[in-house]
Amino acid sequence: MTNHAIRVSNLTKIFAPNSKAVNDLSLDVKEGEVMALLGPNGAGKSTTIRILSTLSGFDEGEVYVGGIDIDRDPETVRQTIGVVAQQTGVEYFMTGRENMMVQGRLYKMKKADILERINELAHYFELEKSIDRLVTTYSGGMRRKLDIATALIHQPKILYLDEPTLGLDIHSRKLLWKYIDELNKKFGLTILLTTHYLEEADSLAHRVAIINEGAIQIIGTSEELKNGIHGDSIVISFDDVTDKEKAFAESLKQGQVISDFLWDGNNLHLYVDSGAHSVPPIMEQAARDDIHVKTLSLARPTLDDVFLKYTGTSMLDSGEEETEEWWTQWAGKGGGKGNWKGNKWVNSDGTPKGEWEDTDDWQGNDWVNADGTAKETPEDSPAQATESDPDWKGNEWVDKEGQQKGDWGDAADWKGNDWVDTEGKPKQDWKGTEQQTLSDGEDSSVEKEPSQQATEEQDKDGKQQGDWEKDSNWAGNEWVNPDGTPKGDWKK
Amino acid sequence: MLSDTWHLFNKYMTITMRMPLWSLFTLIQPLLWLIIFAQLFGSFVQTGDGNYMDFMVPGILIMTVLFGSSWSGVSLLREISAGSVDKMLVAPVSRVAIVLSRVMHSAVQVIAQTIIILIVAWSMGSTITMNPFYLALGLSVVFLLGIGFAALSNGFAITLQREEPLVMIGNLMTLPLMFFSSAFVPKEFMPTWIQYASTINPISYAVEAVRAIMTTPQDFTLFARDFAIILVFAIVTLSWAVSAFKALRD
Repeated sequence: MTNHAIRVSNLTKIFAPNSKAVNDLSLDVKEGEVMALLGPNGAGKSTTIRILSTLSGFDEGEVYVGGIDIDRDPETVRQTIGVVAQQTGVEYFMTGRENMMVQGRLYKMKKADILERINELAHYFELEKSIDRLVTTYSGGMRRKLDIATALIHQPKILYLDEPTLGLDIHSRKLLWKYIDELNKKFGLTILLTTHYLEEADSLAHRVAIINEGAIQIIGTSEELKNGIHGDSIVISFDDVTDKEKAFAESLKQGQVISDFLWDGNNLHLYVDSGAHSVPPIMEQAARDDIHVKTLSLARPTLDDVFLKYTGTSMLDSGEEETEEWWTQWAGKGGGKGNWKGNKWVNSDGTPKGEWEDTDDWQGNDWVNADGTAKETPEDSPAQATESDPDWKGNEWVDKEGQQKGDWGDAADWKGNDWVDTEGKPKQDWKGTEQQTLSDGEDSSVEKEPSQQATEEQDKDGKQQGDWEKDSNWAGNEWVNPDGTPKGDWKK
Repeated sequence: MLSDTWHLFNKYMTITMRMPLWSLFTLIQPLLWLIIFAQLFGSFVQTGDGNYMDFMVPGILIMTVLFGSSWSGVSLLREISAGSVDKMLVAPVSRVAIVLSRVMHSAVQVIAQTIIILIVAWSMGSTITMNPFYLALGLSVVFLLGIGFAALSNGFAITLQREEPLVMIGNLMTLPLMFFSSAFVPKEFMPTWIQYASTINPISYAVEAVRAIMTTPQDFTLFARDFAIILVFAIVTLSWAVSAFKALRD
């Protein structure tokens, strides 16, 4: 036998014509390893687990589990694996012990052995007190533990966990992580788990495989993944995305202003070495291209960016895992009517696998570690990054960009600056953005009359807001009206 | 396969025993029919020698079988969506056993119900046989028919894949099957077309068989023929359900 507990090569499962749930997926899991499959809804995580569990057939490829061809000898594979599916399959009207007893019987174990094993597992999962109670009285976390315990009744070497902590509160989740971690460390279980919680993958898995569109996009230790994605991220949102905006993004990349970009709906994520350096040229470009920027925010890349990068979808959008109808899942060949097309993630274009590894000076970043849950971060960080103390005065903010946050706030000895002139156009916008966002109107007005504004700016730099007030050009602009931020002041 | 079936059967029985009230409810309807029909039709249906009560009790028994086992597929669908079936399937368990145990469970439940009906019928003055041997033969028909309809229901569940059409088919199936048979009315009373319909209706043969063995004088030839027909019916439907389940799986 190899030292590969699981070896999957070129696995393909077709749900319907042109709809591949799993598309040429290859994956090796070493013995004693914890591997996490991380991906958005409909990425093929669950389907992959089902195939590896012998629950689903597949159309192409080879799957070896514990060295055994799953297609040839599913019975032996079933003896080797323990499976915890997304839904807890435990019977509610039986006690924990009865549940485990039935499961043990299905594995042809002797009654005495099962009883012994039940005690062992009940002890391990700290279920001793509740083991003879009906499962209806269990909490969600206890059910999950029982579910895992029943899956381990026959001492499998390999354990699959499909979204093990889905729907659990944070406390139960952390507790469960502890058990899972120990199962691997103490008992040497090989574990393959799926999740869309990045921190779960991060804390449990030796290696993480990001899966999307039924294929592994990248695989590596979480450290490797973190280091592979780095830099600052600028998110620009538009009212509408047309070819113009797309061309704008392309031209930024070609001009090497940014290292990469991704579209997420009407949001354009730009990846740059240094946000502070990059914003001015980006806005210049926007002005040149006559682009309306609705909002702009600068952030250290978040977990969401990692996810987005590899899956083309924002983790913010991915809630509960949606699975195919069971009969589609079960079907061996082709049957079913997959509606993959309708899913957001199909639309996204990014093919960015290779490019990510190119830029390498980002290393020292710890942004991935920082966050709480993955979802929170994207909201948090832009605020942090752009939070500002508008001492606009004596600062030549452009010069200091090496440093991140502060620079933003400091901006603006507008007077002495000739930046407006040199670049021909409209960096003024930046002024407006002492809060997170730029409004589009601002943008457009800048485009129209950059020089005039520049002059006015220079005259009135004593007070930042003052500039704006008196600048007659701005009066008719919509930017004043809509936004949540400093409306009042600006209007006057 | 047999031991798998046994363990799964035990599991279902355990769960059912935890909800005795629910099983009781399924009894109410046949009991109502027993009482209402006896009162309503007893006065004017002429059934040859015996009283109408004795004529009707086998019909009520079979109706209980039909109503009791025809919904077995609904709980299969629920089990599938709850993940219980997956839990079984990941174990090296015989696939046949999964269907078999469900169907067995359903049939045994139905037997328990028919016994209660018999007791009520006796207490209402029915002269249905109390001979244990004849009763056992009669209940074996009940059992086989229960298997047959539970298998049909499970088979439909798997092929229809949704609960709504399954319930619809169940409703569509049960009542006509009852009335297109000699369960409540002797054949001679039926219009010709219903007579024809009743000859392809397994319910007719089941009722006939139970009537033949449970009322005196016993008619063994008729019983043997009808028993064989019901046996074939059970085997065919069960094989269909099992193959539907397996086809879906691999």
